[in-house]
Amino acid sequence: MSVLVQYLITGVSRGFLFALLATGFVIIFRVTKVVNFAQGSFAVLGGFIAYSLLGAGVPQGAAEVLAVLASAAIGLVFGAVTILGKMSPTASLVTTIGLALFSEAAAMLIWGTTPLTYNGLSGHDIRVAGIFVQPQYLLLIGVSLVSLIILWLVLDRTYVGKAMTACASNPYAARLSGINVKRMGLLSFAIGGALGGIGGVLIMPLFPITYDGDVNLAILGFAAAIVGWLRSPGLALAGGLIFGVAEELVAGYWSEANETAVALVLMILILLWQAHRRQRVEKLV
Amino acid sequence: MRFLHSLRGTNLPATLGVVVIAAVTLVLPEVLNPPDLITYVTIGLATVVVAGLSLLMGFAGQVSLGQAAFYGFGAYAAAILAMHGWPPLLALVAAAAMTAAIAGIVGALLLRLEGHALAFGTLALQLIFLSVISQTPSFSGGPIGLTNIPALSLGPIALSSYRSYAYFVWIVTAVVLLLSRNITRSRPGRGLRAMATSPSAASAAGVNVVSYKLRDFALSAAYAGLAGGIYAFFIGYLSPDAFPVMLSIQFLIMVVVGGLGTVSGAFVGAAVITVVAQMLTSLGSAPSLPAQLPTVLTEGVYAVILLLLLRLMPDGIVGFASRVTKRLESAVPARRARRQAVAATGSESVLGPPAAETVDGTCAGRRQ
Repeated sequence: MSVLVQYLITGVSRGFLFALLATGFVIIFRVTKVVNFAQGSFAVLGGFIAYSLLGAGVPQGAAEVLAVLASAAIGLVFGAVTILGKMSPTASLVTTIGLALFSEAAAMLIWGTTPLTYNGLSGHDIRVAGIFVQPQYLLLIGVSLVSLIILWLVLDRTYVGKAMTACASNPYAARLSGINVKRMGLLSFAIGGALGGIGGVLIMPLFPITYDGDVNLAILGFAAAIVGWLRSPGLALAGGLIFGVAEELVAGYWSEANETAVALVLMILILLWQAHRRQRVEKLV
Repeated sequence: MRFLHSLRGTNLPATLGVVVIAAVTLVLPEVLNPPDLITYVTIGLATVVVAGLSLLMGFAGQVSLGQAAFYGFGAYAAAILAMHGWPPLLALVAAAAMTAAIAGIVGALLLRLEGHALAFGTLALQLIFLSVISQTPSFSGGPIGLTNIPALSLGPIALSSYRSYAYFVWIVTAVVLLLSRNITRSRPGRGLRAMATSPSAASAAGVNVVSYKLRDFALSAAYAGLAGGIYAFFIGYLSPDAFPVMLSIQFLIMVVVGGLGTVSGAFVGAAVITVVAQMLTSLGSAPSLPAQLPTVLTEGVYAVILLLLLRLMPDGIVGFASRVTKRLESAVPARRARRQAVAATGSESVLGPPAAETVDGTCAGRRQ
């Protein structure tokens, strides 16, 4: 029983990482119609930057915040490269693949090929449902949840958030009513970068990251995002939790070598279910 | 007169270029030494894979990030069948057919989805493929690999030397490129072309967009499976390491370099990137340099190529070249230019020529 709780807590915290990445996919896709393959790079670069800042003596907390800001800036640059100028959806996707490759090369050059980690939140393990949990897990879950709630409030309650939603539902009408669609696109990339960075700096103390971790993160983030069909941040959160817990249960009760493969089979099944569902909807219409 | 008629609608300089390249590559195996013959075969096999992926990306507007998985699946299928006593040539054909069948099953549903579901679906397929291969040692050799793969034999003729493989690959590449060219110019090809310009307009004009995309995807997988099968017989040893995700990305870069949807671009992209990759590896692997330098160099250069090409030459080297020649031609007297403009619309690039009415009324559209 306590083993199961342990798996669930690990799974849920990984799930929040996927949910942060998935929300980045959703925000960027809604506003720009770009599927950002470089979503995982934000987490890897954010984590690595925090690692270097901590190594340079920046106090814990400040280093993580600075790293998240740096990830947002990287997101902004990636957005500028991808959406300024006219490109077909295929060319945009390939551009983000190029950016992911570039980040990998840069990360390998600067930080090398060994997995990196640093000490997270210090303090005694906390007793949850009969087992002891590292406080970093709870920090990851708490900060992710707060970030997602703040994001939801911004999208739902502020002018900027409403402008972004307008771009998502009808870019032409949004432009007619004076919204700068490109600027909203850049903002969505910056938010995607920040979300990836938050995930990266919080997960690194728990699971060491290597320079090429971005592909796995990107694909699992995408998998979570398609649960909500790249449109719904709420379902993306649910998707993230499904994939995080499923992965952890497979790793725990079966074998760690199979965890990603099983998650990906699950992703393909969800894709097929979505295809089936959408086809039925089209027939009804 | 009949001969002249058949020439109408083809671009004479381009046709000449293709004939020259075909002749040179046909003679080349006679003068190459064994290491260069390996490069030669590698380029030929990559051309076959890229021809399929280019049709998929250029016409169906879909990206596959699992082409190396189809390549690998074809390789393992051909090798395992041949090791179980199938005639190698039959095993090769079966491998290509099985690869196409897998793509057909996966694509039938994924291709209905927007948002590049296929790109991530195929990437997932590749990671699953690698995981399955690594964990079924009894069947696939596992991480250690599969050895003692018999050589390819065409009836009584066994391909024993690198040179004989080079000729075989030349023939296969030529057949695949001709087939692709004919597909782009046939009725389905016109449907695909219409689809590339505007899927909704094509659909309104009676093109079954999903079915065309699906056939396009299955064909690209069949090409990759065929090339992979030949690779297995040629190398004689298979392991999961030979089919990394990076190889899929490499195929993608070859498509972008050659130009999406162009048949001749497949060869140009495959040749350029194969040579560049080998140069970077030898450049970065000098003994005094850090061990990860070749990978850093390769990934960095690939990234820069992708980002710059999509901005500066969105239709690849071939499209860029055909635009430059067209600009030069506009300087020569009007009558000659008009004649060549009519001829140039037969060019196989969907992305290359600006929209122009051709003699038979089809529209070679330029997609943005």
